[in-house]
Amino acid sequence: MIRYWAICQRDLLATWRKKSGIYQPLVFQLLIVTLFPLGLGAGAQTLAKISPAVVWILALLGTLITLEHIFKDDFEDGSLALYVRAGLSLPMAIISKALAHWITTGLPTVLFAPIIGILLHLPETAYGVLMLSLLLATPIFSLLGAVGSALTINLRSGALLLSVLVMPLLAPVLIFGAGAVLETALGNSAKGHLLLLSGALILTITLAPFAAAAAIKVNME
Amino acid sequence: MCKRSGEALFAPVSFTVKGGELVVIAGPNGAGKTTLLETLAGLRPLSSGNLSFEANKNWNDWLENSHYLGHKLGNKGILSCLENLKFVLEIYGHRYNRSEGKMALEQVGLNGYEYQLASELSAGQKKRLALSRLLLLKHSYWLLDEPFVNLDQMGCEWLYQLIKKHINQGGSVILTAHDQQKIHQMASQHIILEQP
Repeated sequence: MIRYWAICQRDLLATWRKKSGIYQPLVFQLLIVTLFPLGLGAGAQTLAKISPAVVWILALLGTLITLEHIFKDDFEDGSLALYVRAGLSLPMAIISKALAHWITTGLPTVLFAPIIGILLHLPETAYGVLMLSLLLATPIFSLLGAVGSALTINLRSGALLLSVLVMPLLAPVLIFGAGAVLETALGNSAKGHLLLLSGALILTITLAPFAAAAAIKVNME
Repeated sequence: MCKRSGEALFAPVSFTVKGGELVVIAGPNGAGKTTLLETLAGLRPLSSGNLSFEANKNWNDWLENSHYLGHKLGNKGILSCLENLKFVLEIYGHRYNRSEGKMALEQVGLNGYEYQLASELSAGQKKRLALSRLLLLKHSYWLLDEPFVNLDQMGCEWLYQLIKKHINQGGSVILTAHDQQKIHQMASQHIILEQP
């Protein structure tokens, strides 16, 4: 386990040194959210109506812009070959890298979501479910993003293809996540949506590392 | 036999490497030297034939006992030289000792660069950093792809001596090299890759 923790620790240190990896998605979200009142008018009611979907779409797009480099750097500098040569299990190494990605991208998104919610007049009752739904969904973003990143490590500019590949897989997560926040804002229970998100998270943790490992092996040959 | 994009790269080769041997893989550019070495390192599947490692030992034993150094050196630019060594030792499950790391860097001529980011090193220094892993991991079998590239004359001489010492201690080295007269003379076997 220590061997896999070393990968996560190294990625966290690398992201911390680059800095942009952490604040880039948050600045991106903040910039876009400031445009909504300008385009739609500052009416609190209009903003409150669209806020569950907007917060979720921003969280999704903020993650998408960081996915390309989950494996690309490791592939280009030879670190992936090192993992194989060190006898590490690739699916476990992928989980370590996805964990580091989630800590630096997903977790700040969850913590930052209430600020976006306030800016969009999200009803107060929905903040808890907003954070809980993002807490369940952001690891899915990182894990499915890892699959997309693994598929495109060989491409010079694979960011667009990666988005096209990953977006359809993330669409159901967006539907249930934004749905949970909307239901809560309307005063209904979001239990069903949250259970579906939990199921999706378990399924992704179980399958995505193996899919990403298979993609890496094919691309390394 | 190794294939690239579905086509055989070179005529079938067969060889045995014993302890204390230096094997040089030679051939023109594009002959498949790197592909053969990557296959031996387990990074590519063998198209046909088989690889075996000592009696009663399996593939994991081979991975544990061999070290591969390819064109992609495996250094992380955002980490310092010592941090790079620490990381490699950790993923191999070895204990990291800072003084040993410093000593290895000193031996490869990176004394004073311990806390310098790998991205700030010259190409030759990056190669030296990658070579320092050989000293720390102490594997018996070395698979080195063009190890002399980017090294200055002193660096090449140091590497000759290191390879010589390793062989004398019973280790084995399989490497690819072009115009390294000295290493060709030292070799106990030459694998010349020819058109299929």
